[in-house]
Amino acid sequence: MGRALFLLCAVTSILMGVGLRAVSCVAQGANTSPISFPGSKHVLGLEGLKHNASGTLLVENSSLVFKKDKKTAVVPTASITEVLTGKDTERTIGGMVGTLTLFAPYGSGRFLSLFRTKIDTLAIEYLDPAGGIHGAVFTLHQGNALGAKQALLNQGAKTSVPIEVEAAAQAPRKAKKQQ
Amino acid sequence: MKVNRTAYSIALLPLAAVFLLLRGGALAEEKPQPKIHASAIQILMVQSDEVTLPIEFRLALYENLIEHIQTTNKFQHVYRDGDPAATTVPDLIVLHSNVYGFKKGSEEKRQVTTVSGATSIKVHCLFTDKTGRSELAQDVTGEVRFMGGNLRATLDFAKKVANVVVNNFQ
Repeated sequence: MGRALFLLCAVTSILMGVGLRAVSCVAQGANTSPISFPGSKHVLGLEGLKHNASGTLLVENSSLVFKKDKKTAVVPTASITEVLTGKDTERTIGGMVGTLTLFAPYGSGRFLSLFRTKIDTLAIEYLDPAGGIHGAVFTLHQGNALGAKQALLNQGAKTSVPIEVEAAAQAPRKAKKQQ
Repeated sequence: MKVNRTAYSIALLPLAAVFLLLRGGALAEEKPQPKIHASAIQILMVQSDEVTLPIEFRLALYENLIEHIQTTNKFQHVYRDGDPAATTVPDLIVLHSNVYGFKKGSEEKRQVTTVSGATSIKVHCLFTDKTGRSELAQDVTGEVRFMGGNLRATLDFAKKVANVVVNNFQ
């Protein structure tokens, strides 16, 4: 019984550690271990990648990296001149299946359109080696954009809107009322 | 009876003359303007002095514009804003885009109701030469009314500007 309790505690603490890993990296700032955001989507802007490509967004070695299968796009964080986050929603059933549901009988496709998933958006503006301005837009799972922004800022990216201001603007209404 | 027919013919002559004159004028108006020749274009970052435009829309307008103007194959080079290499091109055309109207709709509303929730972006596009002399100015509207997310309006806008380029540049 004691051994089982010990094992349970050990497993719980390991799981909690994994869950808080990204948060602790962001909080410490100095930690240079890669911070990844799987399930992200590249909406547009990165060269060599298709629009709306799903993949993993990584912030590592002073670079923003987007990986989609074997394709990788890298943007040095020092060249990023603006990072802004936002909130949006998308259809829970998207893609080709989502489009086909629009033709489903008795308006059932329209009904399915009501089911939406909250997402975060991350927009960056950066300069190429020649000095030309580029822009890129990503979507991330809800609650990840501010972490990604913090990670980018820690590694040398610049922004015109401090992260605290964006966090306050995006805070839920209930939290704002309590303040 | 014969006299009447002649009288009618004479009476119709001024009308025919007026018709021919008007038609000639209309033809002169329809005469296509000479196309502008330029070997390169520089696309400046989209400005929104009059309205508040979310950054993702601004970036999407800019990136889609570059992508679609490149596909027209009207220019040897398409330079981005800030690229110093553009200054060396003698017959450079510079595209200035200023957003003067923006209505963010709702994808959910569009899909549920079909008729409401449209997103539209109105942009004043000005093509100038290197010195800033206006070569061509046109207002272009990007819209999404049914399928797709709100950013699709920027794609519609870029396609329309690409059409303007195809119609007005050699």
